[in-house]
Amino acid sequence: MSKPVTSIKLVLLGEAAVGKSSIVLRFVSDDFSENKEPTIGAAFLTQRVNINDHTVKFEIWDTAGQERFASLAPMYYRNAQAALVVYDVTKPQSFIKARHWVKELHEQASKNIIIALVGNKVDIVDENEEERKVAREEAEKLAEEEGLLFFETSAKTGANINEVFMGIGEKIPLKGPEEEAQGSGLNVTDDQRVNLDSPGNADGPAGACSC
Amino acid sequence: MSFFSSLRQKAPFLERIAESFTPTMSRDERFRLQYKLPQEEYILDDTNTDVSFLSPYSSKFNDDKKMYANGKSVAYVFSGKLFLTPHFLVFKDAFDETSCVLILNISTVKRVERSPSQSYAFALLVTLYSGTQILVQFIGLRSRSEQFCEKLKEMLKHNIPNAKRLPEFVESCYSNFLIEKNVLRKHSIAAPKAGLGQHFKYPGQPDVAKEKAKLRLWFEYFKENGCNMAMIQNRTFQKLVRIGIPSRMRGEIWELCSGSMFLRFSNPGEYRKLLDDNRNKTSMAIDEIEKDLKRSLPEYSAYQTAEGIQRLRNVLTAYSWKNPDVGYCQAMNIVCAALLIYMTEEQAFWCLSNLCDIYAPGYYSKTMYGTLLDQRVFEAFVEEKMPVLNDYIVQHDIQLSVISLPWFLSLFYTSMPLEYAVRIMDIFFMNGPRTLFQVALAVLKVNGDDILQADDDGMFIAIVKHYFQTLHESAHPDSEDIKYRQITKFQELLVTAFKEFNVITEDMIVQQRNKYKKTIFENIETFVKKTQIRRMPKTFNLSETEMSNIYDVFYQSIETHKISLGTGSSNMTFEVFVQFLGKFCDWCKPCKSDDDPVYKKQKKNFLRKLFNNWDSAKLGELTINDVVLGLDKMVTPDMLELINYFFSLYDEDNDGQLQKDEVLQMSEGLLLLTTPWKTGKYVDLLTKKAIEDDIADEIVKESHPDQETVDKIELPAGVTIDEDKYKAQQSERYLKAASSFLQRCFEYARPLELDQQVDLLDLSDDEDKSEKDKEQQKKKFAAIVANAALDPTRPTVIDLATFRMVILADETYELFFTTTLRSSIHLEEGADSNGNNQVLKSMFDGIIADGRRVAAQVRRRVDSVATNRSRTESIDTANDQATTVSTATATTRGEDLDDFTADHPEEHEGLLQSSWLDIDEDGDEQHEPRQERKVETMAPSIQERQQDLIEFEA
Repeated sequence: MSKPVTSIKLVLLGEAAVGKSSIVLRFVSDDFSENKEPTIGAAFLTQRVNINDHTVKFEIWDTAGQERFASLAPMYYRNAQAALVVYDVTKPQSFIKARHWVKELHEQASKNIIIALVGNKVDIVDENEEERKVAREEAEKLAEEEGLLFFETSAKTGANINEVFMGIGEKIPLKGPEEEAQGSGLNVTDDQRVNLDSPGNADGPAGACSC
Repeated sequence: MSFFSSLRQKAPFLERIAESFTPTMSRDERFRLQYKLPQEEYILDDTNTDVSFLSPYSSKFNDDKKMYANGKSVAYVFSGKLFLTPHFLVFKDAFDETSCVLILNISTVKRVERSPSQSYAFALLVTLYSGTQILVQFIGLRSRSEQFCEKLKEMLKHNIPNAKRLPEFVESCYSNFLIEKNVLRKHSIAAPKAGLGQHFKYPGQPDVAKEKAKLRLWFEYFKENGCNMAMIQNRTFQKLVRIGIPSRMRGEIWELCSGSMFLRFSNPGEYRKLLDDNRNKTSMAIDEIEKDLKRSLPEYSAYQTAEGIQRLRNVLTAYSWKNPDVGYCQAMNIVCAALLIYMTEEQAFWCLSNLCDIYAPGYYSKTMYGTLLDQRVFEAFVEEKMPVLNDYIVQHDIQLSVISLPWFLSLFYTSMPLEYAVRIMDIFFMNGPRTLFQVALAVLKVNGDDILQADDDGMFIAIVKHYFQTLHESAHPDSEDIKYRQITKFQELLVTAFKEFNVITEDMIVQQRNKYKKTIFENIETFVKKTQIRRMPKTFNLSETEMSNIYDVFYQSIETHKISLGTGSSNMTFEVFVQFLGKFCDWCKPCKSDDDPVYKKQKKNFLRKLFNNWDSAKLGELTINDVVLGLDKMVTPDMLELINYFFSLYDEDNDGQLQKDEVLQMSEGLLLLTTPWKTGKYVDLLTKKAIEDDIADEIVKESHPDQETVDKIELPAGVTIDEDKYKAQQSERYLKAASSFLQRCFEYARPLELDQQVDLLDLSDDEDKSEKDKEQQKKKFAAIVANAALDPTRPTVIDLATFRMVILADETYELFFTTTLRSSIHLEEGADSNGNNQVLKSMFDGIIADGRRVAAQVRRRVDSVATNRSRTESIDTANDQATTVSTATATTRGEDLDDFTADHPEEHEGLLQSSWLDIDEDGDEQHEPRQERKVETMAPSIQERQQDLIEFEA
């Protein structure tokens, strides 16, 4: 019997050059390149991972970071079930932008969107703590206030990258017959459950419902 | 059938026609756009002519010369129209406007002479520096032709300085080099500077033999038809471009087709100057550029070297200074990096400039309106040309623009391999923006069958991505015919784009853009507003509507800023600030007193203080956030907060105390703010209360109404109020407040410690002023003299607590900080509303017309008489209050002072002392903190929303 597949539409948002595309590249191809071309408009990638007997297919929209592209963003976070709001731990300005994105998502995106706040480029901080310009505590505080998942990552070393996506995968209600049985065990904070009105429905083949 | 009804039937059709003919561009604009001429060009004159060309290097040249000498016609004669602009002669043939187009910068003209002509027609022989001769035979009236020639002569004369620069300029053109080396056999000359590709290899590693063959074709073309600044473009030219320009030649042809060559010629040194003038300056754009320098075509070897990066930095930076409204937009780095492979920095700079202005208008602007607009236009084309595909896309909720936007924005550079993208670019520069639409449509068309299998955006993107990566493959791999099999996908794409979608014309694009412009701009404005308001700092006293109004008026005031285009500074200067505030605040509105120099100075001083206080970044300009935060403080319902804020405006050194001169300034500020009431323009609550009381008294006295009739009371139409009396009273009250303010300030001021003594204003200053503004100043002066503390040798200060006490000591000023000031700031009025003025101006009329309010007063009097008589207080009180509340609610004129009613101090005392009265009931409508304050200060206080309470008459 094939594993049930859940599609998750995920969008990456954040200031230019904080490493959004690099996070995706690390997650999708376990690769890193120092000078990636800036994303124009948005890039689309997919990756399948297994989370507790389920296959989760991430449909990732990686968006352009420059301020003026912000007006295009709604096009991409439309119907998204999850969002990564990325900032650069060495750039305080990028954290301010991250706050704006969180606010916008709460106002404009789907009601139950799961947002992960991601502080990238910790490898720089690991080498020299003085480079850190956004305190971990500050980000944790924002995450707590706004109900976000929070991670500090390095796309360069790969640190914590998979955990981000796994974290999101575990938060999203999975489809399939076992869902009822396992769901509560998996997701402790699952009370405010997601409504499944998203386009993911197309991927939920009737066959998966073997009941 | 009547003419009109048939017309009505045709109306939609006619509208459509009208729409398509709406003159959106002037003739000159169209002309400039068609021939890519610089902005300063316009048509001086035009004439019908026959034109023939004699190239000095042409193989036919000698034969032609003979034929010409024999008086026969030259081999090729084109009939068409010749245009003259300040710097150009443009000829277009009448046949189809593409078989022969000559764009000639008149700097290239060496000599013009009248040509002998046997047909008695008027003809000119124009000789160029290159040796090419152009024979122009005028058709039409001789006088018109003479006129044209006169103008030409004039322009040639003006142009002499430019002509002197020509030889040096053409040396920078590769076409010139080809001619000199191969025709004139100057072997020693060096090739002009080229793009990065010359050293770092051109993308796609083009086949050398093929390149050489193509280059030779261009060489032949130049010999025959001229080159660079004076060249004929005919069908052969278009073919040469379509087969792919040889890499070495590409930069110049791009430059020529885009018209940027003319810009480079007419603005010598500007590129260098921009870089030099702005050296070491920083800007937001520069930060953004730096982030992307290493991320621009990083796989191309030149951009892994310092030299390549530096060139890119220079061009992008220079452009950001040239056009700060655009600054820098991601995708420009990629486009510019591509240009620099084929062009020198200066060439690329001008080419980028024309690209942003003409070819991709608004694509890279701060709001990217051009990108959004063209995506909408593209969707419309797909809907029209590929209905099946369009239906499918709509059905599957696929957002086309998600896929196509990067094609347009990066001109296919991020989608296709570089070698193919530059081929698209060849045609793009020649044919204009429609090229992008044609290619994009062709991509959908060619992949149509696959796309019709896609379920979602993701699959759609995957299909297209794969297609772009395999452009070099055969389009028909399974074909029997080898020739057919050799056609690559890229060739197929070009054929589809430029044959099948040749129907897409520049005019259609202009038309479609006009059609969707309004909606797109509106969407952008809504989006920008939403985003900005969301990002505004936290405020305490402003509602959403008020924020929205402030936003609207703010941006309406800054005329230079266009929200949808994202151009112009969005900051507010002092002058604009004064206008802006005038739209919201009664005391800042332009008025008669503005002519009074004293008032004018007071106004300016106060507004300056406010402006500087709001200017958080000390830029000398206000941002929308500054304005919102500032207004938020001004409209606080907390009187003490407002008093503190007012104090802090004058306490600029923040030491918690004000010196004498600061106190004087402050009193002037108060005088200014209270001017509208002092002059009787508006009525404050105390006056209003007095008027209503008086009217009610009068009615009670005259008509002795009893409880039954009071509901029917209407103000007699003829009743007039002695307007002047109340005005005078109010004015007197404000003047008194001002003078006692100063008096008290100095009375309670405490001496400054010796070491803090500073040079203070001496009295002579005050005397100067008193001449100008006699009465006030006299009073003020009297107050000052009366106060011993004013001895200039004994400087004194007042602190916040004293200031507060002084304000609270005066009924009028206390009221001013409690409600009057706040109610004079009309943030709830929308940007387009100006009804507010009207209402306020007719304040006195308003009272007369509003009989119900007076009736309520009358009723209250009657009630209280009854109450006293029957001693059944509580029931009546309840009734009474209910009535009062309901009348107040019914009052529509609610936005101003009318909503509040002043209580007399005695009433308050009575209120508080009457143990039998149910205070809680009143308290419900009051804000707790203020209730406390009232008790605390025991000063007369006027409560917001507190409706008239029961009158207690002894």
